[in-house]
Amino acid sequence: MTDPTHPVLGLDDVVHQRVRLGILTIAHEARRVEFGYLRTHLDLTAGNLSKHLSVLETAGLIEVEKGYEGRRGRTWITLTAAGTAALAEEIARLKLLIARVETTTPEDR
Amino acid sequence: MTTESVPADDPRRLLADVRALAHRVRVDQRMTWAALLVLGAMTLLAIPFDWFGMQVDCNPDGSCTFARRGMLYFWPPAMVLAYATIAFCYLRAARTRGLGARVLPYAITGAVTTVVFPAAWLAVHLYFQSHPYPDGPLPYWFFVLDRLVMPWGMIGVALLVLAWLERNVGLLLFTAGYLALVLLVLPMNDGFGAPHFGIRAGMAVPQLIAGLVLLLGAFVFARRRRRSL
Repeated sequence: MTDPTHPVLGLDDVVHQRVRLGILTIAHEARRVEFGYLRTHLDLTAGNLSKHLSVLETAGLIEVEKGYEGRRGRTWITLTAAGTAALAEEIARLKLLIARVETTTPEDR
Repeated sequence: MTTESVPADDPRRLLADVRALAHRVRVDQRMTWAALLVLGAMTLLAIPFDWFGMQVDCNPDGSCTFARRGMLYFWPPAMVLAYATIAFCYLRAARTRGLGARVLPYAITGAVTTVVFPAAWLAVHLYFQSHPYPDGPLPYWFFVLDRLVMPWGMIGVALLVLAWLERNVGLLLFTAGYLALVLLVLPMNDGFGAPHFGIRAGMAVPQLIAGLVLLLGAFVFARRRRRSL
């Protein structure tokens, strides 16, 4: 039977996805990040990255700001307060999960 | 990085990815060499202000008293200018790389360290107006504290904050060495003495060494950065 308190049950599908977790991590560390930086460092196509950003924006975890620098269009991504909280919660749950796995003996499984 | 969901039983890899990305961002935000270059240049620029602004009164018995007025007028505005320049460099470089930058804690440290030196000078000045100067030699900790609140010590404190902000172990080690130099080795507050140096030269030489060490650090960090790109 599944343990109702197991940390894996608290994981948020929006955040618990490698690319989206990567976007949130970079945006948190950088305060604000440009679309091109994310695309390069997460090794994604522009279309793929846009889809993930759209999911995060719809969930209210990031804000997307479009503008121009000279003639060049620039898109900046900023983490919202909800995004910061969601990232912190995800990391805490991941750590809990690791601790849980490490303390679980073979007989418990 | 791939786009598929990772199984929930692979949290170690996810956490490792998070840490690696955060580290990458911090490395891309660094402009350590620029901070050291600006602070080193300011340290060297301060030398003529200290030299010509120093008031030296010598008695017939050969003993002299001195007051470093030039430093007092140079450093507070110079520090404000230096930290504003460094913050601007960080913001501009980060923006060019497609990132934001965290400069507020550094700006606050800059503002505090700017105030500490004139405040400490004023406090000592006011204290000795109503108290006699001690006859015997001052304790060693007094000299270290005096050197800490001087601009070169405050530069070390600001660099410590920068090392923490950047999670930069290299800068932390450099700063530890720099602080040991300006607090424990170089006579930043009383200068090298006679017979090799006069009062002005004795004060200038430690500043010259501190400035050159900062510039050398800037050179080393700039080379390291170029190699990592």
